[in-house]
Amino acid sequence: MIIAARRLTKEFEIKANSAFGKPLRLRAVDSVDIQVEEGQIVGVVGESGSGKSTLGRTLLGLLNPSAGTVFFDIPDDVLKEYDGFLRDGDAKGAASIEMEYSIFKKKGEKLKKIRSGMNMVFQDPYSSLDPRMNVLSIITEPLLAMNYMKPDKAFDRCMELLEEVGLPSDFAYRYPHELSGGQKQRVALARGMATLPKFLVLDEPTSALDVSVQAQILSLLRKIREKYHIGMVIITHNIAVISYMADQVNVMYAGKIVESGPKEDVILNPVHPYTIALISAVPGKMVKPNRIILKGDTPNLINPPQGCVFHPRCPMAFGICGWTADEIATDLKYLVNDKFAGSFNDKVVVSTGTGGNLVINNTSAGDEMTLERIINDEKGNMKSLTAIEGLERHGTNIELKIKGYQVPKMYNHDGRKVSCLLYAGDDIKA
Amino acid sequence: MEYTLNVSNLKEQFYTRRGIYKALNGVDILLRKGEILGIAGESGCGKTTLGLTIIGLLPRNAVVTDGEILLDGKDLIATLREFASKEANNLNLRHSENMMKKLNKQLINVRGSRISMVFQDPMTSLNPVLRIGYQIAETLMVHQPEVLAKRRLARSKVNDSDLREALKLLENGADEQSIKAFAETRQLEGIEEQLLNIWRRNDLGIARKEKMILSLRSERLGGFDMAVLERVVNQGGIGGWMRIPGLNRMSKAVLIKEGNAKAVELLSSLEIPNPEEVVKMYPHELSGGMRQRIIIAIALANNPELVIMDEPTSALDVTVQAQILDLLKHLKQRFNTSFILISHDLSVLAEVCDRIGIMYAGRIVEVATVDAIFNKPLHPYTTMLISAVPTIKGGEIQGIGGAVPDMRFPPSGCMFHPRCPYVMDKCRENNPQMKDLEDEHLVACYLYEGQKGEQN
Repeated sequence: MIIAARRLTKEFEIKANSAFGKPLRLRAVDSVDIQVEEGQIVGVVGESGSGKSTLGRTLLGLLNPSAGTVFFDIPDDVLKEYDGFLRDGDAKGAASIEMEYSIFKKKGEKLKKIRSGMNMVFQDPYSSLDPRMNVLSIITEPLLAMNYMKPDKAFDRCMELLEEVGLPSDFAYRYPHELSGGQKQRVALARGMATLPKFLVLDEPTSALDVSVQAQILSLLRKIREKYHIGMVIITHNIAVISYMADQVNVMYAGKIVESGPKEDVILNPVHPYTIALISAVPGKMVKPNRIILKGDTPNLINPPQGCVFHPRCPMAFGICGWTADEIATDLKYLVNDKFAGSFNDKVVVSTGTGGNLVINNTSAGDEMTLERIINDEKGNMKSLTAIEGLERHGTNIELKIKGYQVPKMYNHDGRKVSCLLYAGDDIKA
Repeated sequence: MEYTLNVSNLKEQFYTRRGIYKALNGVDILLRKGEILGIAGESGCGKTTLGLTIIGLLPRNAVVTDGEILLDGKDLIATLREFASKEANNLNLRHSENMMKKLNKQLINVRGSRISMVFQDPMTSLNPVLRIGYQIAETLMVHQPEVLAKRRLARSKVNDSDLREALKLLENGADEQSIKAFAETRQLEGIEEQLLNIWRRNDLGIARKEKMILSLRSERLGGFDMAVLERVVNQGGIGGWMRIPGLNRMSKAVLIKEGNAKAVELLSSLEIPNPEEVVKMYPHELSGGMRQRIIIAIALANNPELVIMDEPTSALDVTVQAQILDLLKHLKQRFNTSFILISHDLSVLAEVCDRIGIMYAGRIVEVATVDAIFNKPLHPYTTMLISAVPTIKGGEIQGIGGAVPDMRFPPSGCMFHPRCPYVMDKCRENNPQMKDLEDEHLVACYLYEGQKGEQN
């Protein structure tokens, strides 16, 4: 494996609301496992704020992770051994492998050497090229900074690279403002390839470009991959681009990888509800019989939903996905005080107690029957109601029991890994 | 056939220190009532300039050298043409500024009420220091004060038995016409819209709606408020003593308050949850998709004939984009409004549009229905543009060689000829005319010259 990340987590500290408060923590990447083989293109797709760019930066060691490691150029059997140590909780064994292969344990010259083996191409070619340097110095800068080659050789290398990315050699003396968006992205790509890296992270490489230019850049990337066997991670929000480029696809949502597997499986036959919704949301001409339009927006990562992070928007959620009393109360309020207000008396109030329990106050006799019927009828539309386990009457109050929840792990299903309790099989606790 | 908008031979140039950019080179658009027309093209092809020219929002260095923009038969840019004929060769920016001021005055009753525009970035199009409700109410107050006044007066006049009767009508499935007739016979004009808007809400149960309709009857109006509203209804707007500073502010406040109530109804019709809460919020409290909905609500507030949407979903995520596109499809059925949807993303246009126009270098080179554009593209540029877009299904993609021309020195003849694989000698010299080939499939290309069809 060129790159392998294990349980990679990155948290950012955010200023507290008050001067004395604890700083808030935003978990942008949450125990992500990802690996890239030589010459493989791995796609990471997700909405904005899903942590895909943070993941890319952490993979390169541009950010220090809060937990977990990234290995560079690790033999497959060593990685397997490491996975074994993680599974058995053998911290000592794991640490010894980390010592040798983790990019975060390397320092000085060794780190420099690794750095020349990996590189990044940024989204916006307009701001990632220094306006005061000409193309020649932009491309040769990494070569000289890494002591990769002597200046006289670097010039020849620059010419080679320009030809490789399809630019005429007289572009070497132009400045970024003289280039169009597509040409700038070509220069950025040439810079990324200068030291012949084994691994390249491309963060939204074409989203600032026109479709006609995007097509050129994408086919150029494919050509480069074929010729140099570079392992690539392509980060994008555009599913069509991923589908065109990638061998493996990882779908990210709220910092977690929710589905990961070969492109043919994940894109053409998704199983995670979020992937299904994401792919059906892609606009276009083709007929989409069972299109899912998600409600709401991506969650706030400072205070993410409990259980499965996707459950509040999930069209297939069920009882143990992590419903809280507050979420159920909102839906119950609508049912009791609004939709079926005629079936209850006017004073009925839905309230959540301090212990996370759910109580309906001021009910009259027979209300629990009505309530039970309504809950059963509405379960199909309001997924939160599936988490109600039973009703219990205390005087005029009805207390609702809420099911416990489970956090989904990565389950193997149909040739891919998916993080959804629908596919947990035997792993669901009774 | 009746057209909402008729743009013909629109030509526009920008005078800059580096030369004259020929941004639009003869654009023709015919837009029917209730139709969504998509405009697609690469960046720099003039799609945004076209949108801004239709609504008359131009910088002072822009000169419209030729062409007409007819909105329901009325020319919007006569002033601009006249100015251009006088100053085309020697543009004086101060004169241009004065002319733009004149144009702004002419268009004040058109912008926001008959034509409105939705911009790309929802983060910057709303005013951060005003509440959502106020921003929607403001456009209502400026363009339709009498409608707001009628609504409020009707609520003060209506009594319980009227409301109960209206409720019965609604429960029996009365349509818009009969509710309107009912309001007219009771002299309660303005109440019908409120009744219907509450009744149409999907986010509330029947019991809640009934309660809301019965509580429409409001407390009596104060003397000042009454005077303001009656004067607005009689004079058709704010005027007379209402212009006195102080009083002006107070009378506007009366209308804004009613505007807030209408804003709630508008937002609920755009499927925004908890509209009562949302109108009290500031823009930063809302997500991007929500903000874009608010902007669409402002654009639709006065039931305009034309809404221009410039990349309405480019700043949004795919799942939110799907929500907005879905909303647009509903709106098209609900409001009798024509839309121009400008986007670089052909697949977005394919989703919602009736017809698509492909723009290249300041000209529309092909117009056809969505099916025809995707299944039977004629212009070489359209074909290449479609084959450059990657799809989920996979398949090879093909970039378009070369780049968009520098519009200071546009190529001779057909502007696409330097990049065109089928280029002929004729293309280098002459610019092909738009030709209607069949079923309103218009294309400007010499490849189709021999085929029958009429010159347009």
